[in-house]
Amino acid sequence: MATKLEEAVGIAPVLKDDISVMIGGQGGDGTLTVVNLLGRIFRDRGLYIYDARNVLSRIRGGHADGVIRASVKEIYSMGDQIDVLVAFDEEAVQAGLSELSENAVIIFDSSKGQLPDSYRKSSYLIYSAPLGNMAASELRRNIFKNTVAFAILGRVLGFEDKVLVDVLKARYERRGKEALESNLKALSIGLSFADKNVPSSRYSMAKGNSSGKILSTGNEATAFGFLVSGGRFFIGYPITPATDIMEWLAPRLPRFGGVVKQAEDELAVINMGIGAAYAGARVMVATSGPGQSLMTEGVGHAGESEIPIVVVECQRVGPSTGEPTKNEQSDLNHVVYSSHGEFPRLVVAPATAGECFTMSVQAMNLAEQYQLPVFILLDQALCQNSACIDPFDIGSVKIERGKLLTEEELLRLSYYKRYQFTEDGISPRSIPSTEGGQSQVTGNEHNELGLVSTDKTNRLKMMHKRMSKLEHAKRDLPRGVNFGNSNAKIGIIGFGSTYGPIREAMVQLSKGGIDVKYHQIRTIWPILEDDLRAFLDSLSTVFVIENNYQGQLAALIRSSIKEKSGIVESITKFDGTSFKPKEIANAVSSYLSGKIEK
Amino acid sequence: MTTKTVQATTPIWCPGCGDFGVLASLKKALVELGIKSKDTVVVGGIGCSGSIHNNLDCYGIHSLHGRLLPTAIGIKLANPELTVIAAGGDGDGYAIGAGHFIHALKRNPSIVYIVMQNGTYGLTKGQPSPTAVPGYEGNVEPPFDAILTALSIQNTSFIARGFSGNQSQLTDLIKKAILHANERKGFGFLEVLSPCVTYNDTYKEWRERVFNVDAEKDYDQHNRLLAFTRASQLMSEGKIPTGLLYVGSNNSLETNTLTSKEPMALQDISIEKNKSRYEELLRDFR
Repeated sequence: MATKLEEAVGIAPVLKDDISVMIGGQGGDGTLTVVNLLGRIFRDRGLYIYDARNVLSRIRGGHADGVIRASVKEIYSMGDQIDVLVAFDEEAVQAGLSELSENAVIIFDSSKGQLPDSYRKSSYLIYSAPLGNMAASELRRNIFKNTVAFAILGRVLGFEDKVLVDVLKARYERRGKEALESNLKALSIGLSFADKNVPSSRYSMAKGNSSGKILSTGNEATAFGFLVSGGRFFIGYPITPATDIMEWLAPRLPRFGGVVKQAEDELAVINMGIGAAYAGARVMVATSGPGQSLMTEGVGHAGESEIPIVVVECQRVGPSTGEPTKNEQSDLNHVVYSSHGEFPRLVVAPATAGECFTMSVQAMNLAEQYQLPVFILLDQALCQNSACIDPFDIGSVKIERGKLLTEEELLRLSYYKRYQFTEDGISPRSIPSTEGGQSQVTGNEHNELGLVSTDKTNRLKMMHKRMSKLEHAKRDLPRGVNFGNSNAKIGIIGFGSTYGPIREAMVQLSKGGIDVKYHQIRTIWPILEDDLRAFLDSLSTVFVIENNYQGQLAALIRSSIKEKSGIVESITKFDGTSFKPKEIANAVSSYLSGKIEK
Repeated sequence: MTTKTVQATTPIWCPGCGDFGVLASLKKALVELGIKSKDTVVVGGIGCSGSIHNNLDCYGIHSLHGRLLPTAIGIKLANPELTVIAAGGDGDGYAIGAGHFIHALKRNPSIVYIVMQNGTYGLTKGQPSPTAVPGYEGNVEPPFDAILTALSIQNTSFIARGFSGNQSQLTDLIKKAILHANERKGFGFLEVLSPCVTYNDTYKEWRERVFNVDAEKDYDQHNRLLAFTRASQLMSEGKIPTGLLYVGSNNSLETNTLTSKEPMALQDISIEKNKSRYEELLRDFR
């Protein structure tokens, strides 16, 4: 809404239907709170939001920022640039510098000194104020600087004061009178500054129609999917970025008679999970790379003993301790190949919070139907970034428990053998307390009765039995999804959180005259060759986009569809951050133009 | 007509193995207590003694090496109405499984844990285990004592040691351990001196050294500190304390953890039953 002054001089706010705001400072500066407040305002205007946290593996101090993007369109990615940067120190400006748009607005906390000239590009609009000192002098605590900044930010974005007050009230009302009063005071300090120093709003925000959508991270959705699938027992060990799943379930599973148990290490986690699943509970465990390394033996044990369990791997930068809070997709090989010996496992890869929910249910059903370990492969960005999605459709959830025998069914059998040879490789399963189902389960190679056996004929049959599950499961595994013009000659393949950046890159490429189709692969193992072959069929080049060094998915595709391995090119990023849409678009177009020039 | 299922097999142990004594006492205890086989789960560890789950007619599961306690605890929490008996060797339990051992003692789950202790890894042909004496097969470390360790952990509720050479005491201790667990009083920990006749035949030596504290007139089973002191005293005299060394009253893991009387493994998880309550949770996703 233009003020009279603005109208008089003809400076009207720029209407934005897509904006990215970064709030940065030291850990503990309250940057994430501002992101949350902004998110609420954007959503109340019907905009879709996507937010990401950039934090270090520590509690206080060190650079931390949150980025929030708002759009009239559905989004699953950060944009290509930052439009507004709120920086509580110089380090935050440094961190955001390379991403700032040409005409970016910077709100800078000058408490520790003015922003050096080297940052002051003439095209930027810089509002400088000693935010920390302002908060400290009037409220005695520096921490309220985030609300002071929020006020200025609100003016820059063209929000009415009432909107800012309302969202603060909604947040702080339940946290006590003092918290609310202090924050309202901090807001008024910021607004007074803005009255004098921010003559007009740089932006005004469009309105959208995202009402009815919910906000969720991948972790929350995965956890909720587990619960709705009938999951009742979650065993975990704290590890970034998987801990949120345990923490979401901890207060909620008990309401359904379930339990969240924190075990002493990941060895206990996977084995406790195996015991509980053996006894008949639906079980999920969740971890990241380091924990998955520890669970490796257990996963093989579940595969050999044919015990159903869902294992969520929330990938982060590796190897070893790596970068706990940063994004990577380098454990694909780990979940597909690791553990000694050969046994069947399934690996599914959702790409959005909505898919995290549906595929969490699907994974649990697959685990029990095929009696094996099923991995849900997530990555830190998918786990912890929030996006607006359709409300989860609980009514359409189906529970499939496979060949789990009731006492009546057992009584009708003349001979119950836990590892009976069957056409589809799946034996009937009974759980303890069922009469007639007494049986032996072991990780040793065994005969149909579960007794240890090294008999050669038995070994061949048992290996076929178990491994054949992979082929049979293909009919039930989540298929890939194709986007774009099916006649395009250029293809893109990706999994997990590259989904958002890829879809936006496709739009950019299309505008540049490059027609691309995209195969969002959703089952990593076994590879659904028919789907892939059909997608690769007409392509001259396919770019496999992934956040790892070696191009793990590309290698898997090359080895699965050998006749097409020559057209597979890798586009990788492994600096701990997600792809930007333009990075993908540029990589594709420069490859293609380089190729043409040859 | 009942369904035919897998039958218990003959043990793989050498003639004279102490584990035969454990098996015999365990069978006797289960029969005398009238525990149904369908409700019994024996979790075996890796090693000679861990194969015991094959030698009983009930549900049996072979865990990974060192992981039988988390496996057994997972089973118990999923369905606490089961009688869960974990049984393995001391290499499995005190070496690779030591971390889980400590936490099981701390958690006090209502399961029975029988450790067949023989100072060696029999199945891999005689390497020293954590309870081996210095000098055995190149071992340079003093032996680990699980009884003192268990006494030192606050939440333990049943600590006993038996001997394969004393069947009646062993059967009695196994019965008491099962009753303790099945009455939801917590972790029935029973170490059994179970000699490996092939690699570390300690029958004769142990017969001379065992000392039954239950036979002592003024032995107080309920005093943790006194039990620790008496056990240490006896050990300094070269004796091995046996019997029911400590019984305490502490909340079991299930009491502290489970949120419903209905076992998680047997719940009705259908969408119809739970749909409206799931939909309430959608509010958490504004």
